[in-house]
Amino acid sequence: MTSPSPLRGKSAIVGVGTAGLGEAPGFNAMDIQALAVRAALDDAGLSLTDVDGLFCANMSHTFPAISTVEYLGLNPRWIDGTNTGGSSFVAHALSATMALEAGLCDVALICYGATMRSGAGRMVPPAEQPAYEVPHGPRYPMTAYALAAARHMAQFGTTREQLAAVAVAARDWARLNPDAFERDPLSVEEVLASRMVMEPLSLRDCCLLTDGAGAIVMTRADRARDLAHKPAYFLGGGVASYNRAISEMPDLTSTAAKDSGKRAFTMAGLSQGDIDILQLYDAFTINVILFLEDLGFCPKGEGGAFVQDGRIAPGGALPVNTNGGGLSFCHPGMYGVFTLIEATRQLRGAAEARQVDKADTVLCHGNGITLSHQATAIFGSDNAL
Amino acid sequence: MSHTGQDTDPAVAPASGPDHEFQTHVADGKLWLQHCKDCDTAIFMPRVLCPSCASLALEWRPASGLGTIYSQATLRPRAKPGAPERPPHSVVLVDLDEGPRMMSHLPGVSPEDIHIGMRVRARIDGDTGSHLVAFFPEESQP
Repeated sequence: MTSPSPLRGKSAIVGVGTAGLGEAPGFNAMDIQALAVRAALDDAGLSLTDVDGLFCANMSHTFPAISTVEYLGLNPRWIDGTNTGGSSFVAHALSATMALEAGLCDVALICYGATMRSGAGRMVPPAEQPAYEVPHGPRYPMTAYALAAARHMAQFGTTREQLAAVAVAARDWARLNPDAFERDPLSVEEVLASRMVMEPLSLRDCCLLTDGAGAIVMTRADRARDLAHKPAYFLGGGVASYNRAISEMPDLTSTAAKDSGKRAFTMAGLSQGDIDILQLYDAFTINVILFLEDLGFCPKGEGGAFVQDGRIAPGGALPVNTNGGGLSFCHPGMYGVFTLIEATRQLRGAAEARQVDKADTVLCHGNGITLSHQATAIFGSDNAL
Repeated sequence: MSHTGQDTDPAVAPASGPDHEFQTHVADGKLWLQHCKDCDTAIFMPRVLCPSCASLALEWRPASGLGTIYSQATLRPRAKPGAPERPPHSVVLVDLDEGPRMMSHLPGVSPEDIHIGMRVRARIDGDTGSHLVAFFPEESQP
């Protein structure tokens, strides 16, 4: 056993907030982001003037961190605008821990907001797309994930029914979450019968497109213990990336989550069996299967069988995406921050109807762009320290 | 010879950017790929250095044009009232026999006639300066 990382347990999430979930007509991204920030600070019992470290990314602003500084009236000592897509915020939890531990800041704010549903009414793609892919007519991001799903199906025999089980599990969790956007019952048959969008992915294999904002506040662990709520301690984190374009990905059935997960587990000194709950960025149903495999919760190629009998649904042995995920809770373009928020609520025991009985460790996994960047972060309660 | 920066050895510096060189080479209707003269890796997308060993010594060689479909995704456009029906469109990833993978499509081939593992042959489509590599089914299976 290697010695524990100097970052393990050194920071904690002390405040979480959301705003504009679903539809927020009449507001822009910065408006609802500010509402989420205010909610997170109120939750922590801190104020905007306490915030001296800022971590953010989005797709609507070229300089999201600087625009956020201006809107919120911040004067941060440390700013990190690293943009790796929807994984950014999970990666920021690791960077924020480093900045806090190095004394570069004392109160770190990680935030995101977007109004894609009321704004453009569609996924707004990044300005720059892979030049050697665009002439062939891909629709980003769907084409990339459909290519991964088709390859997984061809190589391992994964079925559309197994993909559908992921969507149904997400919906069953969402039905327990009053904040979720989609709460009507959903069956495997309904997923299979939904409109084919990007074969082999049907409409219900694809995440929602909503408005929404989320924010978390992190401090060093010693200060966290004096604040209002049970801290959600950062235990370990890791990132990994090999490529931007899906056509440059070495193996579409095997993501960089293998490396980000290994790094996070090593830092946390934990293994898969120690994890109570997973929050996996489910932009598409195939993502959950890929990440369960790559993070080591089942062997490569067996993710379909792993999810098909309710194992990840409410009452199952391994709760995954307890808020309903990007498939049924909300998905405002970049979802990663919501994995952190739900992890915190579960670790506090404050997830109400969807609360998991044993919730001492939660693994959050963020996915960026088109399976291009992976970030893993593990959080725990007092019992996990 | 144009130069690409004072610190680059003029003996190995490319004469022009790789996107431009790609367009120039494929104008003859064949697929060309960069190869690393140091580690022999075949390279796509075009670059100024080898992503395996960072060598600047790259050269363009004609490729076989042969490859195998690695994956396929098919857009099924939603029917819009009063608008003409839009046909489905398959985007594929092709593993070239030389090693690199590229995104492409098979013009005029129905998605039902495309499958993973299928052998395909490259053809160069598009206008001067904006050529692209499309594929068609390779009839003679290996």
